[in-house]
Amino acid sequence: MTTQLSPTEPTAHVIVDPPRRRGSSLRSSRSRFIAALVAPAILFMLIVHLLPTVGGFYLSFKNLNLFTFRQLFDAPWIGLGNYEAILFQDNPLRTGFMGAVQNTAVYVFWTVSATIGGGLAIALLMNRDMRGIKVIRTLMLTPWIVPSFVVAVLWQYMWQSDIGIVNKLLVDYSGLLDERPVWLIGPNSLWAIIIPSIWRGLPFAMLIFLAGLQAMPKELHEAAAIDGAGPFKRFRYITLPLLRPLIAVQLLFGVIYATYQFAIPYVMFGSNPGPHADLMMTLIVRQSFSNNLFGFGSAVSVLLMMAMFVWVAIWYRAFKRDLEVA
Amino acid sequence: MSRRIAVALLAIAAVFAGALVYSGCGGDDDDGADSGTQGQAASDIKPGTTVRLWIMPNGPQPQEDMEAALTPFTEETGIKVDVEVVDWGVQLDRIRNAAVSGEAPDVTQAGTTQVPFFAALGGFEDLSGRVEDIGGEGAYPDGVWQTTQVAGQDGVWSAPWFTEARSIYYRKDVLEKAGVDEATAFQDWDSFRATLQAIKDNVPGIQPFGTPGKKAFDLVHHVMPFVWDAGGAELSDDNSQSTINSPEAVEGVSFFADLVADGLADPSQLERDGTQVENQFKGGKIAVWMGGPWVLGSIEREDDTNWVPAARKNVGVAPMPAGPQGDAFTFVGGSNLMMFESSENKNEAWEVMKFLSQDQVQTDYASLLGMFPARTEPQQSYGESNGANFESVFQAIQQGRTYAPIPQWGAVENAYKERFGTILDNAAQGDASDAAIQKQLDEAAKEADGLLAQTTG
Repeated sequence: MTTQLSPTEPTAHVIVDPPRRRGSSLRSSRSRFIAALVAPAILFMLIVHLLPTVGGFYLSFKNLNLFTFRQLFDAPWIGLGNYEAILFQDNPLRTGFMGAVQNTAVYVFWTVSATIGGGLAIALLMNRDMRGIKVIRTLMLTPWIVPSFVVAVLWQYMWQSDIGIVNKLLVDYSGLLDERPVWLIGPNSLWAIIIPSIWRGLPFAMLIFLAGLQAMPKELHEAAAIDGAGPFKRFRYITLPLLRPLIAVQLLFGVIYATYQFAIPYVMFGSNPGPHADLMMTLIVRQSFSNNLFGFGSAVSVLLMMAMFVWVAIWYRAFKRDLEVA
Repeated sequence: MSRRIAVALLAIAAVFAGALVYSGCGGDDDDGADSGTQGQAASDIKPGTTVRLWIMPNGPQPQEDMEAALTPFTEETGIKVDVEVVDWGVQLDRIRNAAVSGEAPDVTQAGTTQVPFFAALGGFEDLSGRVEDIGGEGAYPDGVWQTTQVAGQDGVWSAPWFTEARSIYYRKDVLEKAGVDEATAFQDWDSFRATLQAIKDNVPGIQPFGTPGKKAFDLVHHVMPFVWDAGGAELSDDNSQSTINSPEAVEGVSFFADLVADGLADPSQLERDGTQVENQFKGGKIAVWMGGPWVLGSIEREDDTNWVPAARKNVGVAPMPAGPQGDAFTFVGGSNLMMFESSENKNEAWEVMKFLSQDQVQTDYASLLGMFPARTEPQQSYGESNGANFESVFQAIQQGRTYAPIPQWGAVENAYKERFGTILDNAAQGDASDAAIQKQLDEAAKEADGLLAQTTG
């Protein structure tokens, strides 16, 4: 503004002021451009994530069943009734819920730990130069590109106790077992979904770890070897700490993905996997969409989502330092 | 934001966010019904109108078969019919969503046990004013007509289309090798067990009996006849409470579970669904199986390669065995046609339903599917003019029973199915004790009572 020009520094104002305005204008224009680019994504997230989640949360306080379904948001308000029924009242729905929580915990523990542990072990084996290693690595990725639906169908046939390949290997060909185990019914049925899940998850874990291992400076291992560190010590004190950020990320996504597993048990067992293999998601879908207990299903979904929030908080606290280092 | 948009957002969330919200659209409270059109004369029919019809995969070529069946109708009336096949796996959700949102076809096929649920949900046309056009109650067997009703409510919510009843399907050649007279092989529970035992003892290489387990959507249809035979019932007379844990029900379920525990039923079949077990029968792996008349229809189909020659040419059908009280019940099911309340072509839609309710049309279409016509007269003539096996199925339909026509039945059936599946799983592991069965049925009854207590408040 010319009225604010200092008589002692007229040129400075003339020179400095216009670029500042141009810069400010540029920044503003740039901000608007960025906002315009980001806006569709935010809108999309709002529409497909936030609003429905809020809607689901709201419905969890409603008596939404087959008689009130057409009212949807106008269905009778029952406050914490659905939550009380799930958590505190003695009823078969609560029994089923507790069973599904237990099964899901076992499923997540074994699936995630075996996927990460196995993926790391295979990555260590693959991280070397040898003939045909590229072909082997490519083949190792095969299970990962098979859709979950197909994995479940394939394994369903493999587990058949009378004609399945698993029992043929265990009983007919190798003689490891005398009797044919029944995999798809009873307590074994949880393992019938855990093992295919691990089988499908291993390649991705291996790929991530392999990338980490190949990016690792060789000098560290060479220096440690010169100092007398054996393979185990080098793994324990060099490889593992450097892979911690990768382990952290896989742990985060692995637990969330496994907790929300639906396709494999659903395809293998239908909407009712039975008490030994019923997971949270199959329980929610069955009670909501087959039994029309939408309020109950919404409440279980909210509890599951809260459990995942807690998990993310724990995870963040545990791995915050690694992420900052990474 | 309108409710319609809000609910559509929730539908997207069910897929993307994992948050459980219902995926249907919030329907208008305006029901769109035009009761004034009920019973209108044929002059109100507009040729050139297209009626949208949803059917389920009835038979190997459902679309082509249905379109061929409707060709004479279109030629005669000028009404076109747009047929869409909706898979059984998703039909409940799609019909429910359509009824609630109003974004629906004009007519849909529905399983007979689903009709009360859909009727209670709303969004369907009460056909009371029209059904006299197709003969009304008098044109159908009692059990079949019952499937058009909702207990305790007025109204006729569907038109019966085709029907089926579960019977015993067996291999004549295997029975002969086992030294069992097929005329008495399945007369009652004792002879049923004795027949299976004789097959087990005398005919190597084939399992005596096979039943699907928890994967089968129709497991309850397999078990309930034994409960009914023993004097039990699925619900109390007023449909307010479950009676599935009564001593009679335990007796019926025990009989069935013992077949597994005693090695007369192949436990590995419990890992399969209904179709897979059916294919085991066709493939010559099991000698006796409980199924529906569609199997008879498939015998003549050379494109059904699941059959092995020995099985294809030796199928016998017997009515279900009589229980300790001398009764021999079976489950009678099938499909009905329902008209959506939101239809803007109700008169034309009704013309389609009327056409599909004609005796000859029902007979022709049911024979394509291996089912039976729903109407009394064509059902009887079809059963009595196609040989002994068809006559056995016709007899089975006459002995048939279906479940209480209440809106909650689908959910109650799911609760029963879950526990029946667990009972059979336990039996395969060697535990078919009455105590174990009672425990599961107590849980089933408790869950069912909770479902029956659902209210609008």
